[in-house]
Amino acid sequence: MAENTQYAIEMLNITKRFPGIVANDNVTIQLKKGEIHALLGENGAGKSTLMSVLFGLYQAEEGIIKKDGKEVKINNPNDANDLGIGMVHQHFKLVQCFTVLDNIILGVETTKCGLLKKDEARKKVLALSEKYGLKVDPDAKIEDITVGMQQRTEILKMLYRDNDILIFDEPTAVLTPAEIDELMEIMKNLSKEGKSILFISHKLAEIMSVADRCSVLRRGKYIGTVDIADTTQEELSRMMVGRDVQLVASKEDKTPGDVILHVENMTVPSKLHKNNAVKNVSFDVRAGEIVCIAGIDGNGQTELVYGLSGLENISSGKITLKGKDITTASIRERSTSGMSHIPEDRHKHGLVLDYSLAYNLVLQRYFEPEFSNKGFLKKDAILDYANKLIDRFDVRSGQGATTIARSMSGGNQQKAIIARELDKNPDLLIAVQPTRGLDVGAIEFIHKELIAQRDAGHGVLLVSLELEEVMSISDRILVMYEGEIVGEFNPKEVTTEELGLYMAGAKRKEIGA
Amino acid sequence: MSANKNTNTPKKSFLANSAVQSFLASIVCIVIGLLIGYIVLLLINSKGANDAILSILKNFLNYSSPATAKKYFGNTLVKAAPLLMCALSIQFCYQTGLFNIGAAGQYVAGAGACLFCALSFKLPWYLCLLAAIIAGGIFGIIVGFLKAYLNVNEVISGIMLNWMGLYSVNMLLAKVKETASPYTMTLASTNKAAIIPSLGLEKLFSNNKYVTIAIPLALIVAIVLKIVLSKTVFGYEIKATGLSKDAAKYSGMKEKKNIILTLFIGGALAGAGAAFLYLTGYEQWEVTQSSVPSMGFNGIAATFLGGLDPIGTIFASYFIQHITSGGAHLDKQIYPAQIADLISSIIIYLCGFAFIVKFIVNRKLNEKVSKLGYPPENKDNKDENEEGGKKE
Amino acid sequence: MILLLQYTLLFASVLTLVALGGCFSEHSGVINLGLEGIMVMGALGGALTLKYISPSTPKFLIIVSVMLVAIAVGMVYSMLLAFACINFKADQTLIGTALNILATALASIIAKSINVAEDPNNVSSTVQYVATKKALVVNFGSFQFNWFMLVAVLALIASYVVLYKTKFGLRLMACGEHPQAADSVGINVYTMRWAGVLISGLLAGLGGIVYITAGVGEWKFENGVAGFGFLALAVMIFGQWKPVNIGLAALLFGFFRALSNVYSGFDFLTTLNIPGSVYNMMPYIISLIVLAFTSANSRAPKAEGIPYDKGSR
Repeated sequence: MAENTQYAIEMLNITKRFPGIVANDNVTIQLKKGEIHALLGENGAGKSTLMSVLFGLYQAEEGIIKKDGKEVKINNPNDANDLGIGMVHQHFKLVQCFTVLDNIILGVETTKCGLLKKDEARKKVLALSEKYGLKVDPDAKIEDITVGMQQRTEILKMLYRDNDILIFDEPTAVLTPAEIDELMEIMKNLSKEGKSILFISHKLAEIMSVADRCSVLRRGKYIGTVDIADTTQEELSRMMVGRDVQLVASKEDKTPGDVILHVENMTVPSKLHKNNAVKNVSFDVRAGEIVCIAGIDGNGQTELVYGLSGLENISSGKITLKGKDITTASIRERSTSGMSHIPEDRHKHGLVLDYSLAYNLVLQRYFEPEFSNKGFLKKDAILDYANKLIDRFDVRSGQGATTIARSMSGGNQQKAIIARELDKNPDLLIAVQPTRGLDVGAIEFIHKELIAQRDAGHGVLLVSLELEEVMSISDRILVMYEGEIVGEFNPKEVTTEELGLYMAGAKRKEIGA
Repeated sequence: MSANKNTNTPKKSFLANSAVQSFLASIVCIVIGLLIGYIVLLLINSKGANDAILSILKNFLNYSSPATAKKYFGNTLVKAAPLLMCALSIQFCYQTGLFNIGAAGQYVAGAGACLFCALSFKLPWYLCLLAAIIAGGIFGIIVGFLKAYLNVNEVISGIMLNWMGLYSVNMLLAKVKETASPYTMTLASTNKAAIIPSLGLEKLFSNNKYVTIAIPLALIVAIVLKIVLSKTVFGYEIKATGLSKDAAKYSGMKEKKNIILTLFIGGALAGAGAAFLYLTGYEQWEVTQSSVPSMGFNGIAATFLGGLDPIGTIFASYFIQHITSGGAHLDKQIYPAQIADLISSIIIYLCGFAFIVKFIVNRKLNEKVSKLGYPPENKDNKDENEEGGKKE
Repeated sequence: MILLLQYTLLFASVLTLVALGGCFSEHSGVINLGLEGIMVMGALGGALTLKYISPSTPKFLIIVSVMLVAIAVGMVYSMLLAFACINFKADQTLIGTALNILATALASIIAKSINVAEDPNNVSSTVQYVATKKALVVNFGSFQFNWFMLVAVLALIASYVVLYKTKFGLRLMACGEHPQAADSVGINVYTMRWAGVLISGLLAGLGGIVYITAGVGEWKFENGVAGFGFLALAVMIFGQWKPVNIGLAALLFGFFRALSNVYSGFDFLTTLNIPGSVYNMMPYIISLIVLAFTSANSRAPKAEGIPYDKGSR
């Protein structure tokens, strides 16, 4: 059957190696014309690498690419564009201070006497936006528009170039549930108009709802391709991870104890715009509970945590930790008063990447008498301590405690941070997206540790963008929308759909702290 | 599973040693720098070029009498000490991620302060030295404050302060200049107590009276800095701040305080450097000079040539001063003395490549290692890094 | 007063040209701290042209050839920065600094070698061009119009058009703001950055010759250009990387720089009895103050100073 089908794109026996690893090992993907083809795999399975090969960002060592049955060479994004291949990158490739229109025409500008001619371009963009229901304002600057509109700009970029093979790299990660539905609709429209779509995702529900077929990668290897109509989420999941996974973390019920963290009317100004990023927020975290802040990225969660940890000054409100007012305390004081913080951005905040693992493991404690004496570091003590943590948390690295943090894998970097923050034995643990970008094994490990903290009677404040994670491990859920807490829920009494409505600002309820 | 089981220990190549790499890189920079200098000499006058490059390299050895050579060796050391201090200033600040091009101005401020204290207030040498340290430190603090609180690029503010320093010091020292010349009065005639003591060191250099304890002091400062950087809590903090400002802030270090403190120390080092020269009586300040003394800029060459390590900087400073002094032995009727500046600026330029060359060498070495086979666990971790890298 | 205006316009022209140079380089994503050195080299090229060209050459030809040589030398010299910083991802501060020191040394060596060849007793680094310099100016009464003022205005207009109205400008700025985005739509980031640095070499080289011909008919190259390249960077920051604002900022800075040249001509200033050094310091003090107030909220190109590595996406 497959022999008779005309394929838009075929990637046959692709092998791509990086120093030390094989990112794609003999992978074959065939995209039919007009279909939505999902590419499923865990983080690190090699999906992005494969797409980068198709898009000309990398060159494969082995294998060939065929367009409409003819072999082609794709050496750079220009070649890909000439072949009608377009890509919406996971992290938008948009120039923030340019307008939507400028971003769309960038690279394929039309000129007259050397000067830019934007009128025609504007007409074409408006026509396309009409045809596919992609609402944008061509003259708005990217930095001023919503993430959803930025994504529509990216899609228009491809359509403007008359691309007929569209790659979507994890397009739903940054969207609200409503925006996701809208995107799914847009993708179906596009395929109806004859566009062939490659849809990269690790979210099974989305694949089931939109894709025609699905190819699965695992650890760089091609596992297989299935028709969505003939498969189930469970089967896809098994193909993806190679075993049955227990995604729901098991934990016993517990009655929360005393208030550990008390936040009263906290307001944090935004660095991006003139409004406040966190508006008059009040809540408590008690001993022995995991409180989860849910919400779409960019609704003030980052600033909330910055305000709590002292990375940014709050403009009004009061924060107390175990009854002690820490509103104006320094970062160091908060840390030594029993607050631990697993930061959102492990490369920016969490680690000094060019320090050794051992040095990083004492980043919050190097000044304590255990590790220093009269201003001198006790190097032996630091090494011993590091080795202890490395053993206990199974942090893997090339040269043990002396490994430079930069050379470690993302998962082990995260483990190192978690080891450091948990070993401080904090009264309050603030964990921001602690599982982001990690594989299932690491996620399970981290969830277990968070629950252990809770069971030991500490307070845990978890900020997460993944609803599944929110539902499975929290004791209480607070939903943040545009800097405010718009709802408080017990995970046992709420559905993800309900949460989604709050996260998208469609519903809200007044809550007392 | 313990980390040790996972440890991947293929035989380490000799080249993988970072100190060896730095040394080799510096040698390559020197050789290419000298080669280009030689070519320029050839272009100017091909006949004398061989002798000229040799006389630059020989410096004090141009004198056939051992006693004279020793004396001039002393002179080179006298000027190498302030150069080392400027280089250490730049090096120390670079650890915090700051490019202290203002060392030149901090040096000028130090010169102004120590000479004015010596000639006008007739203070003893240690107080003059202290004044130089404070003056240089204040100049450093200004740059640090502007950087920490107002986000002013330290290179631009440093340059501005260099010129402001030059003109103010010219104004200040015009009050203590000789009536008939644009030079400041000599210490020997005005205030002998301001001359740094030699404690007999001059005897080693054919009674070169300019050889003082400034030279060993500069060496001690270098060693102290090495210890501060590698063994102390303060060193841990400033290196962390330099490598990752955000992580330093996250861990509760006072990054603004550290930036200002580092630049204060940097300024103090450069200021002390000036005192180490002007309080020997070796040079007088010319109050009409219209360009910032090159000491601070040569310090940049020395610090990068020294592989950004205080001990390496000792040798690099000596080398830079050696060829700078050697430049003075050129026949001025044929060759300009700036050949030495040319060579050191080319060395700075090449040092820009040294880092990337080291990086490439390391990557090549790592590739070799990886062909020997990574443990399987590392495989997908690496892949994850590829994707993870994109996310940041 | 007219003299003050004349010098203000002249120095503003220099600052405009060089700051625009910095602006192109930074919009492409490369911080060019070597502007100072490029100015020196451009100045040397221009000065030597003035020295050797016959004073009887038509004025127009003199002006054009001086400009062309200064531009060519500036561009060639800026290649050293482009090569190291773009292709080899070297530290941009370090390379810029090296180029500044190198330029002064190299220019002194060349000037001295020429002087010594002419007269073995002349070991100075001064180049003289009194006769031919006259070709650059036109007298309107006591106001001396310098053709370079016009050149600066034209460069300003051209920069505005190129940056905001052309394909090239759009692509250049994309490389300085988000090189990965530019790369993903098929723009060669390396090429655009090379272009940005070369244009900065062009403008800074030109600025160099304008600067040294502002005063008397000779220049001592041992002195370099006295931090003027860095003043231009301050002008660029104050002008928030926008050509028109840069022009205005240049006028302000030019005024203070001019004051140090002509303060002795004003009776009320001489009666204040402030030493000349204070006036000399003025431009540096002003720029430091201006930087202190404008740097905190700067709209610098986001990716400037970060070497672009294709592999890292």
